[in-house]
Amino acid sequence: MKLTELIDSGKFVVTGEVGPPKGTDLSDLVKEAKTLMPAVDAINVTDMQSATMYLGSLATCHIFKENDLEPVYQLTCRDRNRIALQSDLLSAVTLGIENVLILTGDHPLMGDHPQAKPVYDVDSVQLLEIASHLGEGEDMVGNELNGKLDLCLGAVVRPIAEPLEPQIIKLEKKVKAGARFIQTQGVFDASHFEKFMNAIQHIDVPILVGIILLKSDRMARFMNKNVAGVEVPEPLVEEMANAKSKAKTSVQIAGRLINEMKDMCQGVHIMSLGWEKRVPEVLAAAGLYELPKKKKKKKVE
Amino acid sequence: MGTEKREAHHYTTYAYNAEIKEKRPYPPCRAACPVNTDVQGYVGLIAQGRYEDAFELIHAVNPIASTCSLICHHPCEQECRRNDVDEPLAIRHLKRFALEQATEYRRKKRKPIPQTKEESIAIIGSGPAGLTAANDLAELGYKVTVFERHPTLGGMLSSAIPPYRLSREALQEDIDDVLAKGIEARTNCQIGKDLTLNDLTEEYDAVLIAVGLSLSRSLPIPGVDAPDVLLAIPFLNDVAYGKQPKVGEKVLVIGGGNVAIDVARSARRLGCEHVEMVCLESAEEMPAWSWEVEEAAEEAIEVHHRWGPQAIRVNDGKVEGLEVVKVKSVFDEDGRFSPVFYDDQTSFIPADTIIITIGQMSDLSFLEGTPVEVDERGRLIWDRDTQMSSADGIFTTGEVITGPGSAIAAAANGHRAAKAIDLYLRGEDIKLGLVAEEKETILAFPEELVQKLSKQSREKIVHLAPKIRTSNFDLFEVGYEEQAALMEARRCRTCGGGAIVNAAQCAACLTCLRICPYDAPLVTSKAQMIPEICQVCGLCAAECPGLAINMVSYDAGEFREHMSDIIGDVDPERDAPILVAFRCNHNAGVNGDQLPDNVRPVHMHCVSRLDVLDLLKAFECGADGAYVMICDEENGKYKNVPSRVKKRIEYVRQLISNIGLESERLSYFEAGTHPDEVWRQAARKMTEKVKALGKD
Amino acid sequence: MIVADQKPINEILGMLERYDKVLFVGCQTCVAVCMAGGEKETGVLASLVRLARQKAGQPIEIDEAAIQRQCEEEFIEPLEADGYQAILSLGCGVGVNKLADHFGIPVLPGLNTGFMGHIEEHGVWAETCAGCGDCVLHRTGGICPVVRCAKSLMNGPCGGYTDDGLCESGTGAPCAWIAIYKRLKELGLLESMTETSPPKDWSKDRFSGPRTRVREDVRL
Ligand SMILES: Cc1cc2nc3c(=O)[nH]c(=O)nc-3n(C[C@H](O)[C@H](O)[C@H](O)COP(=O)(O)OP(=O)(O)OC[C@H]3O[C@@H](n4cnc5c(N)ncnc54)[C@H](O)[C@@H]3O)c2cc1C
Ligand code: SF4
Ligand code: SF4
Ligand code: SF4
Repeated sequence: MKLTELIDSGKFVVTGEVGPPKGTDLSDLVKEAKTLMPAVDAINVTDMQSATMYLGSLATCHIFKENDLEPVYQLTCRDRNRIALQSDLLSAVTLGIENVLILTGDHPLMGDHPQAKPVYDVDSVQLLEIASHLGEGEDMVGNELNGKLDLCLGAVVRPIAEPLEPQIIKLEKKVKAGARFIQTQGVFDASHFEKFMNAIQHIDVPILVGIILLKSDRMARFMNKNVAGVEVPEPLVEEMANAKSKAKTSVQIAGRLINEMKDMCQGVHIMSLGWEKRVPEVLAAAGLYELPKKKKKKKVE
Repeated sequence: MGTEKREAHHYTTYAYNAEIKEKRPYPPCRAACPVNTDVQGYVGLIAQGRYEDAFELIHAVNPIASTCSLICHHPCEQECRRNDVDEPLAIRHLKRFALEQATEYRRKKRKPIPQTKEESIAIIGSGPAGLTAANDLAELGYKVTVFERHPTLGGMLSSAIPPYRLSREALQEDIDDVLAKGIEARTNCQIGKDLTLNDLTEEYDAVLIAVGLSLSRSLPIPGVDAPDVLLAIPFLNDVAYGKQPKVGEKVLVIGGGNVAIDVARSARRLGCEHVEMVCLESAEEMPAWSWEVEEAAEEAIEVHHRWGPQAIRVNDGKVEGLEVVKVKSVFDEDGRFSPVFYDDQTSFIPADTIIITIGQMSDLSFLEGTPVEVDERGRLIWDRDTQMSSADGIFTTGEVITGPGSAIAAAANGHRAAKAIDLYLRGEDIKLGLVAEEKETILAFPEELVQKLSKQSREKIVHLAPKIRTSNFDLFEVGYEEQAALMEARRCRTCGGGAIVNAAQCAACLTCLRICPYDAPLVTSKAQMIPEICQVCGLCAAECPGLAINMVSYDAGEFREHMSDIIGDVDPERDAPILVAFRCNHNAGVNGDQLPDNVRPVHMHCVSRLDVLDLLKAFECGADGAYVMICDEENGKYKNVPSRVKKRIEYVRQLISNIGLESERLSYFEAGTHPDEVWRQAARKMTEKVKALGKD
Repeated sequence: MIVADQKPINEILGMLERYDKVLFVGCQTCVAVCMAGGEKETGVLASLVRLARQKAGQPIEIDEAAIQRQCEEEFIEPLEADGYQAILSLGCGVGVNKLADHFGIPVLPGLNTGFMGHIEEHGVWAETCAGCGDCVLHRTGGICPVVRCAKSLMNGPCGGYTDDGLCESGTGAPCAWIAIYKRLKELGLLESMTETSPPKDWSKDRFSGPRTRVREDVRL
């Protein structure tokens, strides 16, 4: 199911996120995804997140499909040139994948193979254009394709940045190039997000606000220091520090944030970083999901 | 501390780049010197404790160097660029120091010059001009005979300049150098009386008239014939030859020049307590040098300014004093001497002895009946282009033709006359041969630069107390001690001795421009150093990646080239580690220490010039360790030196540790606030440290 | 200018291990300016190698030379290499190639040739052009995204730049795109950032074999 279809139907869309393992055994990942899936509309499968070598996202997405899990296939520009990227998009379609999230990709220097030769043959805007073009039945140099490509293309944005304007300019370009939904970097401050949403009023694209599950105050501080665009406000850090049960407090915070922001946007993208099983609780806290105990509906609204 | 300890390893050779130096603009001190003494060169040598080399450099152009070191009016100092920073360098006094240090050396060096030429030359007069010409001509291999009417050689130097300013021992050193070349001196021989000029022209191939200005002018006023009215030159002659001329209780000297001061101060030393001077000029206009006037004042000599002598009052053959009239002006609109008086304002200065010191003139009576012509005013006729008189083969030099001036100017003219005679005897075009090349001079320090230059006050020149010095004719000025001389020598900014760029090597990388603390480099297509600005710190040469920069005053590559000689043979059985100590000669002198045998000192004007290559070379040539003595920024002569040198040391430490040598083998010591202590202990500390590391 | 760096001394010693008479050749142009291989550095390296070999009990004879530019035949011509077992070049890679073409003995690289760049401050060099063969600087305010952006992005920054405008790669380099954005804004040319740059034609870069340039009119 294409995310755009859900959005167009007026649904507040929820996506989750998992990262394939280093290795070949996907059983645990599928299990986790299954605990997640009832609460979300689709699950992003990362493409060697943090520039670290893992099992590929295309293969994982395929396995997800086989397990009735709806994947969002993440594809970065880092490791493949335009030939491989187009080919992988064709492969994705063949494997029944419908949602693709296109990203630049973290630099190899940040991962476990810093000696690698980065590719970045095309950038995310160009890849979106290329992918859109494939939809018209031609590859990027105008050769005809057999069969039809109908992909739901997504992209990312970083809503908190100094300066912000380059992010907005790039967002405009991504939308122009064919991005139909946008997932954001994790947001911890609704007022910041509001400002961002005001700044992009002119851009007509559904935004799924990013939510990261905090695991501890240490993790919050670490992200504040090391992850570009992530700012956990001090009161939240304190809250985590003083929490009797980190998990509970984390769920409360995430739920609260979603509540505060859900009216400003069209969906939410939850990055649970291993705490996949907490995601349903978060969504429940946000009033977006009823926990299965009641076993009535999968999703509220 | 003494010179003998520090002579071991000085590879700074002043001869380096001498040719280039000649082609470069002169520093003002050198330009101002009539014989163009390489001041910066010899002062630099003094700073390194190389006094004999300093002597050589001085003596090469000045045969009356010791004399000048005592009595020169030092135009070099007047022009010294340090004037704009604080005070001029004490150049003359440093020269005195160097020459005194080199006395033994110079005596040992004396030897006759073989006569290689047929021709002989007669020189009449043995003053600075005649003596210098004799020196040069003997040097060229001619047979030279000097005729002097006085019993001693030296002209005014020996016969008039009073010994309290010019010791006869110093003068004798100069004369002995010249005589040693094999010159025949015929003293007590007056041409015109004992021999005639024609006698000389018959016997000699050329004659040089160097008779100076030996007659005192007198005044056409009543009373001058009285017995106690004296003339300056005869009076000074008597003083010079120890004849103790009789003076009364109140001496009045008429005149305001240097000779007048000598006369007055001599009179004080003859026992007269009340010596006064009277002159037409105001204190500012007075021709005597200001320092001489001050020294006279210290000796209680009073000057009556702006009075003109009218008559000497004589009663019963006894002088009572001088009647004077007030001066309205001394010079006319064009600055010419033309005194005007207020006839109605007169005064009287009592005195029992009056000495007239209003100028000298030459005695040319011996020219009567010779082919040498004089003009209507009795002056010798000569050709400026050839130094020749109206008679072929008869030349002339010195004050007889130039008029009154300085000893060194007379000597400079003596050089020129000698050259003229040589050209004449060789049948060459004299005029062409004498044309001197126009020299460019380094301009003053630009104003912004002055702010950047470290200040250091001039080492005091000590005079004996007036009371003591007026009681005899002994030298009244005390020479520098070695410490003071080294301190003073370092004050020289080595003008014009700085960086030069070999354009072929220059990559226009701009390193020099960036590194120079004084903004001396100008880099367009290639680098060029502005000589006015360059302070000769040497920072740039040591940083230039193309090795394109060298120095006029030293060879930037000399240490590395000589390093194996510096280190010498390395004994594999050695007990103590071989260390190379890189130090500035200034501190090596001032804070001098006794270095143990295992330490090989390398001395330089400032460690700023030390190159990474120099440091590495020490290890390559077998040193077990090396250290650098670093002054602190405040006490250093140049800017930005300690930080830069430390960086270079750090770099070399890294390099050697990369190949497995302990980086501690290279170290530095900062002089800090107790430089003497640090200097004394450095060698021992470093020896211990490296010994612990073992042989390399 | 071409910026290079001296190879680690142990690597150089390794290359020289089998030789005991070697000529070190510096280059007085780019690598002199970037203080890696001019006459001075050639002297320093030679001294260091001699010292190391002496220490190891295997002395080596090294002569030093530096020529104006190692990349020109005419400057290489006068160099005499007879009697040497090998040459160590302190030129950039171009120089090493040229010397190796010219002489019939092994020519070893003393430098790691880095990049085309400028001096940022004395002692600091930075890369500013990749030589991509298809310049885009007119669109980017004169700041090269190909080389100054770690990902060679052509359409604006990634999401990784830090609050102080540094690149996510952690090299300490400023984010090229933030610099481009600021420059374009200053120039009043921000609209050129809003236009999408098409995928770059990398065939003009070094990825299609060695590039040559010919100007027929100046050929001899
Ligand atoms: C009192 C005094 C103080 C001075 N102080 C200084 C000073 O402090 N610093 C300085 O730089 N300069 C000083 N001078 C000037 C300096 O002495 C002269 O500039 C210099 O001596 C001139 O040298 P000269 O060779 O031309 O002549 P002189 O030195 O005058 O030498 C000429 C010589 O020729 C001899 N002579 C003359 N006629 C005959 C003849 N017919 N036959 C044989 N011999 C003859 C004379 O006896 C004399 O010895 C002073 C001069 C005087 C008089
Ligand atoms: S500082 Fe030295 S070189 Fe410069 S003018 Fe003075 S004496 Fe001469
Ligand atoms: S760095 Fe020193 S030696 Fe070089 S030009 Fe400047 S002042 Fe002269
Ligand atoms: S942070 Fe800036 S320079 Fe670095 S990769 Fe991203 S866009 Fe390029």
